[in-house]
Amino acid sequence: MRNAGTCQQFVKAGTSVPDAVLKLQAIVKRFGTVTAVDRIDLTIERGEFFALLGPSGSGKTTMLRIIAGLERPDEGGVFIGDRDVTALPPYARHVGMVFQNFLLFPHKTAAENIVFPLRMQRLGRAERDERLAWAMSLMRLGGLEDRYPNELSGGQQQRVALARGLISRPALLLLDEPLANLDRELRSEMEVEIRRYQKELELPFIYVTHNQEEALTMSDRIAVMHNGAFEQIGAKTEIYTNPATAFVAGFVGHSNRFEGKLVEISGGLARMAWQGDAMLVPVPRDPRPGGAILFAIKFEDLEIARAPDGVDRTGRNRLAGTLRDVIFKGQTANYIVALGDGSEITISSAPRGLDLRMSEPVIVHWPVARGATFHV
Amino acid sequence: MTAKRLGWAVAAMGVLLACIYLFLYAPIFYVIYTSFAADIVWPFPPAFSMAAYGDLFTSSLYGDALRNSLVLGLGSALLSTVLATGGAIGVLRHRSRWRGLALGLFLTPLFVADLLIGISTLAFNARVLDLPGNMYSAIAANAIPGTSFAFLIILAQLVRYDWAMDDAAMVFGAGPVRCFIEITLPTIWPCLLGAFLIGFILAFNNLEISFYNLGAIPTLPSVAWGSLRFGLGPELFALAAMVNFIVFAIFGVMYLLMRYKIVRFGYRETL
Ligand SMILES: Nc1ncnc2c1ncn2[C@@H]1O[C@H](COP(=O)(O)OP(=O)(O)OP(=O)(O)O)[C@@H](O)[C@H]1O
Ligand SMILES: [Mg+2]
Repeated sequence: MRNAGTCQQFVKAGTSVPDAVLKLQAIVKRFGTVTAVDRIDLTIERGEFFALLGPSGSGKTTMLRIIAGLERPDEGGVFIGDRDVTALPPYARHVGMVFQNFLLFPHKTAAENIVFPLRMQRLGRAERDERLAWAMSLMRLGGLEDRYPNELSGGQQQRVALARGLISRPALLLLDEPLANLDRELRSEMEVEIRRYQKELELPFIYVTHNQEEALTMSDRIAVMHNGAFEQIGAKTEIYTNPATAFVAGFVGHSNRFEGKLVEISGGLARMAWQGDAMLVPVPRDPRPGGAILFAIKFEDLEIARAPDGVDRTGRNRLAGTLRDVIFKGQTANYIVALGDGSEITISSAPRGLDLRMSEPVIVHWPVARGATFHV
Repeated sequence: MTAKRLGWAVAAMGVLLACIYLFLYAPIFYVIYTSFAADIVWPFPPAFSMAAYGDLFTSSLYGDALRNSLVLGLGSALLSTVLATGGAIGVLRHRSRWRGLALGLFLTPLFVADLLIGISTLAFNARVLDLPGNMYSAIAANAIPGTSFAFLIILAQLVRYDWAMDDAAMVFGAGPVRCFIEITLPTIWPCLLGAFLIGFILAFNNLEISFYNLGAIPTLPSVAWGSLRFGLGPELFALAAMVNFIVFAIFGVMYLLMRYKIVRFGYRETL
């Protein structure tokens, strides 16, 4: 009952935001000694596709369960619309959910599964049939009404689960790794479709995934979660290009990492001592000259050229190495380069017009402002 | 050589198995056989007659006893199943520190002798509640070991039930009662039926608990026991045969339900 007190305080503080569909305030959830969710604040706007991205065990499912009411937070408040639902059971919250393993009711047909939320709302028969027809055609499930879940393919089950989540026009839809059990091809197809449904319905989605590509493809905004807390929350381009922490830099996109020492700051750039060499890198937050720093730069932010090139490269860092391997990926190729100290870095660029041979000396270079630097 | 020896071993095993079955079923088949015999004292060589069944059906005592036993069996089975279902769901769903204790307390009545349950309920009813023996107290007393058995049966099946299904139903707007009726019950009813049937058979066949609680009210086991004073009457053989028939019929129905997959003891078909 500790919750009740906390919520009252929030209500008194008048924190209801009219345009927010969902608001979480300082949510904490502990399981024994594990803090699964650690003081999370979150506001979801109308019609937003929000992705919750994090590694296994970071507390994503726990957060969804708290929003749905399946788990009671130890501290903090949950608001849907301008209603405080912290103390309400799941069946009084009117949210939709798509579960990781679908959780279709095995003794009900596809159609019975889909209309289940409407039956619970005691909607009239005519309206129910109308909405069923709408959901079936939206999810392209025509003809599968009378099949039982074990008679449906993985993709069909997934669409039934989506239809069941959407049919009652909930305030928001929670999706817990809905594509994790599908094969790769079906997954990329469903990614596009789910995003299309979301835009059509203008319904806020909270989409949980540990797959960064899924999050980047589908969402408008991403929160990167780690150990129960948000490492960074923002537009997906922001997360991708401007990681706020070393964890985000490592988790989103593919980066090369250089560990070195911050020597000095001059002219809006930091000088990093690395392997007896020096690089100019962006200034880390709260710079401490002399401290250890980590410089992360994405594969595609590096450029590669045949050595020696006589080109003037002022304002650029350059590293000499030998080409080890080229991994052709279609639109791009990954060039793996061994540096002087034996470490390897990867450069991703268009494969055309760069006919480098194996074991050839190369120069890796990039503008000094690229990448991100963190104290470690 | 070895093949021959193996053949002997198989034959020996077969004989042993036949002996075990003989040991288990000889008395039962003897009773059934004798109930159709013309002379129940020495029914050899076979000479058949339905006289025993005639005696049984003309005696009003047995009719009453059968009715009472059925009421007792059904009532006790229903009570046991309801209590055990609640208990099993509670023990499985609430991850409390006291879970082990709760589980143990549901099972301990299994280790109390029926005689003791009979005597103690009789004493409690008479001294504390000032009640004479009656059908309700007999039903309740029989449901004590019945609940424990039902609990074991239901728990063994319910551990495989995926409670996340109920979470899903609740998110989609089903309250606890709707959720149980719509989602849980349709999946778990076969094991509840199994527990119900076992509870019925236990209470139907019980002598000690029922006898102490019912006093003069007859049940099939108590009438059979009472008539022993006058020697083994032919109608007693007929009665024993009929009771066995009812019990076998129940198991037969359960088997057929499972055999033809009307009832599935397994919750989710693998996808
Ligand atoms: N019911 C529970 N009892 C105890 N600990 C739990 C429970 N549920 C979750 N946890 C713990 O809370 C932490 C977060 O779990 P959660 O399921 O939210 O992770 P997740 O981000 O969804 O992971 P995944 O990507 O593997 O699904 C984990 O350390 C987990 O072990
Ligand atoms: Mg999870």
